[in-house]
Formats: sequence, C-alpha cells, structure tokens
Amino acid sequence: MPDTAFTTSQIGYAYGSVVALHSLDLSVPRGRTGLVGANGAGKSTLIKLLLGILTPTTGTATVLGMDTRTESIDIRSVVGYMPEGPCLPLDQTAADFLIYAAGTAGLPKQAARQRASDVLTLVGLNEERFRYLGDFSTGMKQRAKLAQAIVQDPKLVFLDEPTSGLDPSGREEMLDLINRLGSFGIDVIVSSHVLRDIERTCDYVVMLDEGTLLNSGPLHPEGDTDAVRIELIDGADRISQELRNAGAEVEGDGPRLTVRYGEGDVFDLVRDAAARSGASLLSLSASGSSLEERFLEREVRR
Amino acid sequence: MTTDRGAVYDLGYEPYHGERRGRKGARLTIWADGNRRVLGLRRKARRKVMPWLLIAIALLPAIVSVGIAFIVPAGVSNEFNLADANASFFQLGGTIVMLFTALAAPELLIPDRRYGVLSMLSSRPLTSSDYLAARFASNITVVGGFLLIPQILLFIGQAGTDPDGLVQGIINSAPTIPRILAVTAIYITAFVPLGFMISSLVQRKSIAASVFLAVIIGLTAFAEAIVRNSVLPGGRWMALLAPINTADAANNWVFGSINNDSLLAAADIHPALGIAALVVIGSAAVMVSVWQYRRLM
Repeated sequence: MPDTAFTTSQIGYAYGSVVALHSLDLSVPRGRTGLVGANGAGKSTLIKLLLGILTPTTGTATVLGMDTRTESIDIRSVVGYMPEGPCLPLDQTAADFLIYAAGTAGLPKQAARQRASDVLTLVGLNEERFRYLGDFSTGMKQRAKLAQAIVQDPKLVFLDEPTSGLDPSGREEMLDLINRLGSFGIDVIVSSHVLRDIERTCDYVVMLDEGTLLNSGPLHPEGDTDAVRIELIDGADRISQELRNAGAEVEGDGPRLTVRYGEGDVFDLVRDAAARSGASLLSLSASGSSLEERFLEREVRR
Repeated sequence: MTTDRGAVYDLGYEPYHGERRGRKGARLTIWADGNRRVLGLRRKARRKVMPWLLIAIALLPAIVSVGIAFIVPAGVSNEFNLADANASFFQLGGTIVMLFTALAAPELLIPDRRYGVLSMLSSRPLTSSDYLAARFASNITVVGGFLLIPQILLFIGQAGTDPDGLVQGIINSAPTIPRILAVTAIYITAFVPLGFMISSLVQRKSIAASVFLAVIIGLTAFAEAIVRNSVLPGGRWMALLAPINTADAANNWVFGSINNDSLLAAADIHPALGIAALVVIGSAAVMVSVWQYRRLM
C-alpha cells in the first residue's frame, strides 16, 4: 500500500472555456485530509478527476498508487464517494438501497446484505432501515449517503461537503462519524468550505482558491505545541510582565499576545499569570494559527 | 442471587475481506434491480398496480383459451383450437407490450437520473456502457417475459390437448419454440430500443411514456397515410417506419400466415426486409442512448 492517498502532477481541468483547476501538483499522505476552499474553488472537480469521472485536460493523477486515466475501474473498486448533491432513490428503503449500493461495488448478495445491516447500524440508521428514503430528514439522508460511501469497506473515501444542509446537532454527529472512519482504517478526503469542519476532522489540509493551490500541509504543524495565543479584555501590560518574570517569551502588543514557554504547560502558566495580575482573558487558544487565519493569510499574499 | 452482570460489547467496525466481483457483479446487481424496479417489487403498493395489471391483461386471454381448450373436446369448435393461435396471441400481446414498454423503459432510466443515483454509480467499478447494458438487459428480460409467458401457457395448452397425449404433444409442438423465440425478439427489437432512447433523453417518466406512445402511433399513422394513399414517389418505403405493423407482419410471416392486408404487403415489401429495418432503427436508437450516457456518467 503506498504512503500517499493521492498525487497529482500538473493536473488541470476546464469546463469548456472555464478553467476549473490550474496545473495542481499535490502529494497527499494517507489519513484524514481536508480540501478547503470557497464554492467554485475546484474541490468537487478535483474529486471527480481523482475518481476518474472526469478526464483531466492536462497532467496526471494517482489514487492509492493507481493511475486515474488507465486504472479508474480499479480505483473505484477500493474507494467510496459521497457526492455533494442528492444520490438517494427516494422510492427505496434504506436497507434495499444499501444492499444495492454494496452490490454495485461488486459485493455478492449475502455479503451485501450483511454489510448493509452493519453500516446502517454504524451510521445510526438501523431503526430506520425499512423506511423509504423519501421519508428521511436531511440529517438522515446525509447519513444514508455516508453509509453508501462506506458500505463496500473502501480503503479511501471521498466526502464532498458532508455537512451541507445539516443543523448544528446533525453537523456534530456527521463530524463524529467522519472522525471514527480513521479508526476503521479508512482514509478520508473531506471537501468543505466550512473551515471549522476541516479543523475538527482532518490532520492534513489542501487549500484551493479559484482552481489554484494556496497551500497544502499538516493541519497542526509540529513545534507550536508550547505556544498559545491570548486575547485580553484588559490588563495586557500586567500579564505580559508576569509572564516574562516567569521565563516566558511574549510577543505582540495591545490585547492580542502570543506566549511561548518551553519549561512546562503554557496553558497553566497563562492561567496562573492571569490570576496573579488580575488581567481579564477573552480567549486562549493554541498558537498554531487557525485554519481560517492561514487561509486568509494565503489569500492576502496572492 | 447471581454475581454475573450484563455487559455491553461494542463490536466496532468489521472490515470486509470477502469476494469482490467487480464489473460483473455491478452489472448483475443493476440488472436485477431493474427487473424489480419495473415490476414494482420492494416498492410501495401503488407502484405495482400498472405493471401487474398489464401482465394480467396479457395473460387473461391465454388462461381463458387454454382453460376452455382443456374443457371443450377437440373438434367441437374451431374457436378453441390452439394449434394456430401463436401468431394471434403475439399480435394481441404486441399491442399490450407497447404499453408495457412505455411503462418499463422510463422506469429503468429516469429515476436514477432524477434522484442523482448516477453520481453514486459513477464512483462504482463500472462504465456508462456497463450501466446501460445492464438496464437494457433488464428491459429485454421484463418485456421478453411479458411476451413469452402467454406463449408458454399456450404451449402447455397445445401439448396438453394433443390427441396423441402430453409427451407426444410436446414433441409435436416443439417446432414452434424457435418461432416463438424469433417473434419475441422481433417485438423486443421493435419497441425496446426506441423506448430506451426516448427515456435516455426525457426527464420525466410520464412525458417519456407519452412521447414513446406518440412516436409509435404517429409513425404508424404517418406510414399508413403515405403508403395507402401513394402520395409520394417511393413513399412505400415509409412502411418500414411503422414498428407495430412491421412486427405484426413479421410475426405472421414467421408463423406462416401471410396477411395480404398488412402495410408491408401493401407496400410490396418482404417481411424479412421489415425485420432488417427494425434492427437498423433499433441499433441507431441504442447508439443515441450510449452517446447520451457517455455525457452523463
């Protein structure tokens, strides 16, 4: 099994005269990867190219070491796909649809029945398995879509906007399910324009904007674990002094500070310094800049 | 009192290490799903009404005729002589099968597009041609079954009422089997590819069914008008555009009962040429469907 989930070399795609992707070079490791970008950034196009649904205008790509141009059928035998749009036959029950979905992935009938039952339980739809999909709520439909993507036990699953249209509790449940996939040995590529969803579920990120690559790399870079970012309501000078006295490095001025401390838990240090100085904290977070900040920073640089 | 306590075990995720049948398995699954879909099996009750009503209408004459033939002694009445009934049963079934195709072809193709199921299938180990071939096979299976079941009943009736006994009756009736299969194939060629093509292009089932019936009936009326009235030079060739008439004429020809009133006879065209025309038109219709699905999947 290769170390990479997928690679692309100068891959590009155009819908007629509209260029959706511009010569991307990527090497994405196995694990949980987020494809981030605004609507129209090229995320869905990239997924379709990787699945071999679209043929690239330029360049090449591999998925799990297989060429998307020549081995697309082999790729589709070992990957799952949850499309962004509807993909559920509303006149079928959840159980029948999952059996059908497993069968179309090549599983024999008995195995398809067993897998359908197991996966419906896994996504929390076991009680609803004999209900027609047309009677499902949006959240249940999204879970059914996830179920069809993993019913054949893929090595890698592409999830295109999996939290689209979900209310906050439905979103949480979906993100929890996605997080669990990693522990099942299934690599995950999640496409989303909701950056917090990617932060919650992924450990690698690919940022796209208008079909070009903004950045790709680990989501939580090593080396930032002993630094925190704090935002204060008042008492910035007092807490800065306290922190420096304790041996910490303090950067920034005004109400926003970055604190580094290599000799212990930096969070405890900030808490104690705030208590001693009487400064009022508004927020306290790991200093590895948030995905949103990194995304905006990259966009500004362009 | 027991010291045993209940325990809840999370069985977790069970990976699948069994057989994967790839494209072959995918095609078989789509074919089987198509058969169920057309017949309304594992669907809501109202989805079963139309297909089973048409099947009942197609079967009823055969059941009645065969039943009466068993009751009424041979030679009492020619009305219930089953020996030459194959062609007339096909002619009756041919009209009903046109309605059945209007129901079946849209059901096989349109819901997958309307519900977005094609986007799921495009991530499976199959090509657009695999999908279409499996759905086309479903269409042939259900329409073929629709045509064959009355003929099977008839065959049983012919063999069972044979004066020489059942076994000899089966032997005596056996020569009709290849003819039955040939005429089934002719009616399938007349209707299925056209229904398939229209269903691949139209977005709603009811509209696809209406367009299919309008095209078949419209072509027949057009050809009748042109050929019977000789309004165009070379207009007799328009007879080849009327699938019902061509299939009926070919049916009579295969069973050895030439109908001199048929459109092909009026146009002085041999039924074999009519069959060739059905194959050409059917092939063209299939190619249009393939082209359309290459764009969609």
